[in-house]
Amino acid sequence: MIEHTPWLVLWGVVVGLDLISVAQTMVARPLVAGTVAGLITGDVLAGATLGAILELFALDVLPVGASRYPDYGLGAIAATATASGAPWLLGTGLGVMVGLVVAYAGGVGIHAVRLRNVRDLTHHAAVLAVGDARGITLIQVRALLRDALRALLVSSAGIAVGLAVHRWFPLSAAGALYLVVVAVGAAVAGAANGVIRVTAAERWFVLGLAVGIIGVILL
Amino acid sequence: MTRGFLRAWFRTLLIQASWNYDRLIGVGVGFATEPLIRSLPGGTQGDRYRAAMARACSYFNAHPYLAGLAVGAIARAEHEGATGEQVERLRRALASPLGSIGDQLVWSALLPFATSVGLVFTAWVSPTVGIAAFLILYNAAHVWLRTWALAAGWRGGIEVASQLKTPFVQWGMRAGRRIAAFAIGVAIPAVVWWRLSDFGPDEIPRAAIGAALVTLAGIVVLRRIWPALGSLRFGLAVLAVAVVAGWIG
Repeated sequence: MIEHTPWLVLWGVVVGLDLISVAQTMVARPLVAGTVAGLITGDVLAGATLGAILELFALDVLPVGASRYPDYGLGAIAATATASGAPWLLGTGLGVMVGLVVAYAGGVGIHAVRLRNVRDLTHHAAVLAVGDARGITLIQVRALLRDALRALLVSSAGIAVGLAVHRWFPLSAAGALYLVVVAVGAAVAGAANGVIRVTAAERWFVLGLAVGIIGVILL
Repeated sequence: MTRGFLRAWFRTLLIQASWNYDRLIGVGVGFATEPLIRSLPGGTQGDRYRAAMARACSYFNAHPYLAGLAVGAIARAEHEGATGEQVERLRRALASPLGSIGDQLVWSALLPFATSVGLVFTAWVSPTVGIAAFLILYNAAHVWLRTWALAAGWRGGIEVASQLKTPFVQWGMRAGRRIAAFAIGVAIPAVVWWRLSDFGPDEIPRAAIGAALVTLAGIVVLRRIWPALGSLRFGLAVLAVAVVAGWIG
C-alpha cells in the first residue's frame, strides 16, 4: 500500500485544486476521487464503495460562494487508503470515519487559504488599483499555489492517518458491521436532508425512491 | 477577437483561483477579462486599458460557470466606451442573478442529477462506467454553459440582462430541481442495496433495519432538532457511538 502513496498524494493535489480553484470539472466529487484512488491502490471496489457513501454525504452540500463546506474529494482519497486491501466489511466503516474527518480538515484548509488570499490582496492593493495585468496574474498564481499546498498537506496527512487506522485501529467483526450500517444510514440521511434543503422537491424524491426500489427488486 | 475569446474562456476556468472574503471572485473576473480588453484604444499601456482592468478586479460574486457572462458583458461595455459608473452599475446588476440562476441550474439541478446517474451506473453496471457517465454528462453541460455565458455576455454588452431570459434558463430553473430530486431518489436504493447485499442472508434484514433507523434519526435531527449540526458532524457522532458499541459488545 505504501508504494501507492505518492500517486495518491498527487491525485489529492489534482482533486483539491478542482474543488474550487481550477475548472471545477467535478473530479473532486467523492465518487470520482474515491474510484480513481481505488484504481491507484488496486482496490477499485473499496474506492467506489467509499466514494459512493461519501457522495451521499456530499449531496447535502450546496457549495455556494462564501459558504464553508467540507472537501469530500480529499476525504474519499484518505478513506480509500484506509480501506484498500481490507475485507470490505472491515474497511468500509473505518474508511468513512477517516473520510469524514479529512473532509472536515480540508474545509478548514479552504477557509485558511481564503484568509491568506485576503492578506495577499491587502499587500498588493496598489497592483489592483492601477490595473497592473502582470501583478494580477501573479496574485492568481500565488493563490493557486496556496490551494495546491493545502491539498498536498491535507491529502498527505489524511493518507497517513488512513494507513495508521488501517494497521492499528482495534475493531471486532461485530464493531465493523455496526460501523458499516451506521455509515450507510447516516449517508442516506445526509442525502435526504440535501434533497429537502437544496431541491425542495420532496414528492419527486419519493417517486424516485419508489422507482429505485422497484429497480433493485427487478435487477 | 477569436484568440482573445479563447484565452478569456480558458481563464474563466481559473476564475475562483484567488477567491477571498474581500473581493470574492473579483480578481478572477479581472484576470479572465484581460484578453478581451487588450485591444482597447491605446493598447495594454493605455489609460483606458488600465482603468478597465482596475474596474474589472473590484468586488464581484457569481456562479463560476456563469461568471463568463459578466466577463463578456464588461469587456464589450468597455469597448463600446461605457463610463466607469455604467460598468459598475452593470456589475452590480449582474452579480445577484448570475449567482442565483447558477446555483439553481447547476448546484441544485445539474450536479445532483449527474451525480445520481453516476451512482446508479456505479451500482448497476460498474464503478468505472459510473464515473465516466457522470463526468461526461456533467462536463458536456458544464463546458456548454461556460461557452454560452461568455458568448452571451459579449453579444449582449450593457444590455446583457435579456440573455438570461432564454427558454433553457427558465426551463432549467423550473424543472431541474425536480428531475434532480427524482434521480437522487432512484440512486439511494441502488447504492444501498449494492453494498448491503454483500452481507450474509441472515444479516441483511438486521443491517437494513439498522441503517433505516439511523437514517430516520438523522433526518429528524438534521431537519427538526439541530439543523446546524450538518450531516458530516452527525455522521461522525453516530460512527463514534458505533465504535464504542463495538468495543463494549
